[in-house]
Amino acid sequence: MSRFARATAVAVTALAVGLASPGAAVADELTDLLEGVWSSTYTADRFVVSVWDGQTSVSKAFVEHADGVEMVRVDSSWTLIGGGRAMAIDETPAGIVFRSESVPIQSSRYTVEETDAARHMGRDCTLMSVLEGDVLRATFLVDGYTGAPLIVETYLPDGSMFRRVSLQNFKPYRTYDAPSTDPGSYEVLVPVRDDRLPGSVAGYDLVDTFEAPGQGIQGFYRDGLFSFSLFVLPHGTQVTGMDSASAYSVGDDVYEVAPTAHDVRIHWTASGGEMVLVGDLPPDHADEVLAELPQPYGRGFFERLWHRLFG
Amino acid sequence: MAGVNQVTEHTAELLSAYLDGELTKSELREVVEVLETNQEAVALFRGLQATRRTVRTLPTLDMPIGLIPDAHLGDQLSAYLDGELITAEIPAVSEHIEHCSECRHELAELDRARIAVRALPGVEPPDFLMPRVEDRKEADDPSRVTRLRRRTAVAVAAGVAAIALLFVAMPLVDDSAEPSSVSIVDLGSRHGARVSNSNGGVVGGATGFQVDSP
Repeated sequence: MSRFARATAVAVTALAVGLASPGAAVADELTDLLEGVWSSTYTADRFVVSVWDGQTSVSKAFVEHADGVEMVRVDSSWTLIGGGRAMAIDETPAGIVFRSESVPIQSSRYTVEETDAARHMGRDCTLMSVLEGDVLRATFLVDGYTGAPLIVETYLPDGSMFRRVSLQNFKPYRTYDAPSTDPGSYEVLVPVRDDRLPGSVAGYDLVDTFEAPGQGIQGFYRDGLFSFSLFVLPHGTQVTGMDSASAYSVGDDVYEVAPTAHDVRIHWTASGGEMVLVGDLPPDHADEVLAELPQPYGRGFFERLWHRLFG
Repeated sequence: MAGVNQVTEHTAELLSAYLDGELTKSELREVVEVLETNQEAVALFRGLQATRRTVRTLPTLDMPIGLIPDAHLGDQLSAYLDGELITAEIPAVSEHIEHCSECRHELAELDRARIAVRALPGVEPPDFLMPRVEDRKEADDPSRVTRLRRRTAVAVAAGVAAIALLFVAMPLVDDSAEPSSVSIVDLGSRHGARVSNSNGGVVGGATGFQVDSP
């Protein structure tokens, strides 16, 4: 049987099984948009600019994106990211593999509108708008030929731009040689059952939970467009790499915040342990999420004593 | 007569091979050229991609327990949780866990037990408060009871003194003295890896992850 005939046979079987399965998900507009973007194939230089609390972060990387898997080169370092994997590609590949369900998230929070046809970099494109209620939350300038996201902008409720992801030197359908199959040294994580994390936080649903370093847990949350992981680590665990963090206030509470171009990292100490939030959510969503999570406790003498004695 | 935009079986084979990452460099050039010029080839390519996505997102079905070979993981589950498997063993074990609901449930139970044990206070009774099992007969001796009472009184006094000392010393104690540390970059990588298993990571743009070795 030829390779194509095999693929066709798989397609027919898959469609039959998909139709027969009562659990088959019905994709919504946003899922369709993100699936198209995710499965597009191209190489490009990707520029990301984010503004968090007046602080601007920028990054540039060369990416080879094919069907949900990316090879990312920053300076001379290569990383493979996709399918639940994050692997540093060098002489001894190392990384993490999440064995989790890849079921698309259905979102009732957002609606998608096809705004306009456009030309960009000499290519036919479609401009798609993602609305959160009446608020314009994001725009996607999508290449009409490949589905690649040439420009993605996300906005705050006041209309100011929060993040801009753009592709330059775009080459459609270029792909890469398969990365080394040497498994190297990697950590495999499977979902664990844990009742300590809330099932939903400020419109974000808990998708699954994993063990985290330092005997902690990681809860992965999504709202259909943005996502974050909440790490709960034992009291006293040092979170390193937050040297450049600044203080960030939500109401009377103060957090350590270290934004990057791609995401934001927030650390605080609560009664339940050391909390770390990492995600690509915008600041107004982050404020709402933090307001529903355990608050930072003060560092007064008696609170520290109480904490040390009784946890 | 074959139209300019018709897809030949050869092209279809190439597209399939392309998605499987099995093309040579010259074949790759040919595919790119076809995809840039032939709309029907693009349509077929997208169809093949959609098929792969459909297969990938199908719900995972548990194999009936009677069909699973009688070779569950047993002690390997515990070793897996403790990170004591050698690298070569990990793929087979994780593959088995993925398909064997019995081992998956056992793994979850083991994990819950580990979490429960971790949650216990890490206090080790001082030697002088530990009754020695081999000296149980001696415990019935009235003079020993008296000695124990004296020791307990000493222990209580020592405890009070220790708490008082704790009050005095607490402001000087720094949390950084704790032994465990976690890199924020590692946590970011973990989030990125998890995001990549679905259609996420779009609005943030995947990053150049720095992955800490396990």
